[in-house]
Amino acid sequence: MNSTKKAIVGVFGSEDSLMDALCMLQAENIEPEEIYTPYPVHEALRALKRRSRLSWASWFYGFFGGIAVLAFLYYTAVIDWPLNYGGKPFNAFPSFITVTLVLIILIVTIFTLLTFSIRAKIYPFKKAEIIDERVTNDKFIMVFDAGKVNRDQLYASLTQAEAEEIYEK
Amino acid sequence: MSYATEIRGPLVLGNKKLSQVSDDIIAPVGSQPGKWWYAGMFIASLMLVYGAYALYMTFTVGIGTWNVNNSVGWGWEIVNFVWWIGIGHAGTAFSIFLLLLRQTWRTSINRAAEAMTVAAVLCAALFPLIHMGRPWLFFFIAPYPNTRGPLWVNYNSPLFWDFIAISAYLLISASFWYLGMIPDFATIRDKAATRIKKAVYSVLSFGWTGSSREWMRYESTGFVLGGIAAVLVVSVHSIVSTDFASSVIPGWHTTLFPPYFVVGAIFSGFAMVMTLMILIRKIYHFGDYVTDRHLDAIARILVFVSLIMGTAYLTELFLAWYSGNEYEGFLIFKNRVTGEYAFQFWAMFICNAIIPQLFWSKKIRSNLSIAFVISLIINLGMWFERFNIVVTSLSRSYLPSTWVSYHPSHIEVGIYIGTIGLFSAAILLFFRYIPMIAIHEVKSVLKHNEREHGMGELKPDDQ
Repeated sequence: MNSTKKAIVGVFGSEDSLMDALCMLQAENIEPEEIYTPYPVHEALRALKRRSRLSWASWFYGFFGGIAVLAFLYYTAVIDWPLNYGGKPFNAFPSFITVTLVLIILIVTIFTLLTFSIRAKIYPFKKAEIIDERVTNDKFIMVFDAGKVNRDQLYASLTQAEAEEIYEK
Repeated sequence: MSYATEIRGPLVLGNKKLSQVSDDIIAPVGSQPGKWWYAGMFIASLMLVYGAYALYMTFTVGIGTWNVNNSVGWGWEIVNFVWWIGIGHAGTAFSIFLLLLRQTWRTSINRAAEAMTVAAVLCAALFPLIHMGRPWLFFFIAPYPNTRGPLWVNYNSPLFWDFIAISAYLLISASFWYLGMIPDFATIRDKAATRIKKAVYSVLSFGWTGSSREWMRYESTGFVLGGIAAVLVVSVHSIVSTDFASSVIPGWHTTLFPPYFVVGAIFSGFAMVMTLMILIRKIYHFGDYVTDRHLDAIARILVFVSLIMGTAYLTELFLAWYSGNEYEGFLIFKNRVTGEYAFQFWAMFICNAIIPQLFWSKKIRSNLSIAFVISLIINLGMWFERFNIVVTSLSRSYLPSTWVSYHPSHIEVGIYIGTIGLFSAAILLFFRYIPMIAIHEVKSVLKHNEREHGMGELKPDDQ
């Protein structure tokens, strides 16, 4: 949520009340800009159609990482400086599998974490854009862009959805 | 999607509210600990000093200060390396296998188990490093474009696999552990009373806000890392076992080793998880989070794994006889079951395969003092197992003229004690500065409690 925008915030005390409110608001075609919760609420993620493509990205990191590792092993052990270890072939492919597997895991981990950091904007020394400090404790909040919604209708709907608090920020 | 609560009953007791969970778990973080903490840290520091002295001697004089020799080339250092890496395995195994199997009872325990993993793998990584003799040249093992040709490393060697696997395991375990803590650090940040605490935990929480977009990607990342680290857990200890199994030493050259090592690692690690969780529960009064049912579940896993361990030991004996290999037979029956190292063999067998069978009794599973002692006995037994594997095989190899007895020097003992000090100090710091239970994960299971058991109360039909 961009901090320069004006936001309307609805505060809820439980996951159930948040979900009831979300269903009600979506039925009225009111979509929250963002939802903040103390733990992942899967129903809310589904309702907001939040889907991550991170696992696909990880699959590609693994696939191309594996090719890169095998190519590196082949280049170093067969082309660049072949060494005879007890008469084994230079391209000792079955022996390469273990190192390849572990390095694929390492590559997937590093790149998945980097992707997470970039996409979720979670990185060291980042200043948190906190809407409401209670959200990491026990409150569930919905944030609406004041410029995109009918303020009076939203207030009425949030009140009807039994929001504990409604305020603007 | 959760199957846990219906079978296991409430995961958190005491009708906790979300804010109570935060308050309970955050309370020890950064607060003044009791005298026991300082006493523990003092003892750990003494151990570290002894370890530092032993390392100083090792670095300045060399590994001639150890009692390893041409026959027993691997002594306590490799025994302790395998022991620590085994303990380091279960933390991640515990956390990840139960995550992938959607076992929600892991939520109260995974944080401490992962902390234990990181500390234990740090201790383990020290041993191969110092075993190189010139540890400052350890980077020679990495395949990098060097000025010696370039001369690349031997990719067929399990010792190289080990280097890659342990480095990767340390990095992945630490990343997985830290990733899990980010939302909890944000909770501490938002509840911090002092500016210093707020500033420190602001940095540690990486700007976490708890938005749905963050949670979505966070969960995806957790599952990806969990999925691939599960493979790593199995492969790392299999690789450690191939350090032995790919040799031609009697007692080592066996295909049983990879599964035997992986199961042994999980066994010792789960025992250490039990030791830690009983301590945390007792010291911090976390009985509502680490319930009797949690410890009961760990004890049931231990008794099951103990049976596998017993089967593995008997399989080794059987194959030594059935294979008709005289070297194998001699080693197993004359230098393990009987002979100079018979005490270590029987200590291993009794500690790992016999004593944990006591956990069949519900009375013993629910007696935390006995469970605590058994968890320590298992780790003692697992140490003896590694001693058996490493020392008995090397001390009586093919040529009788090479036979020697092996006893560690005080420098070797010092390094081991130093790692125990390092592990203890790391765990004590963990107790003091990091939430010992995953706050957001416990909060997420409260709802299941509410649905299935009316906030912590068992329904009659669940009994």
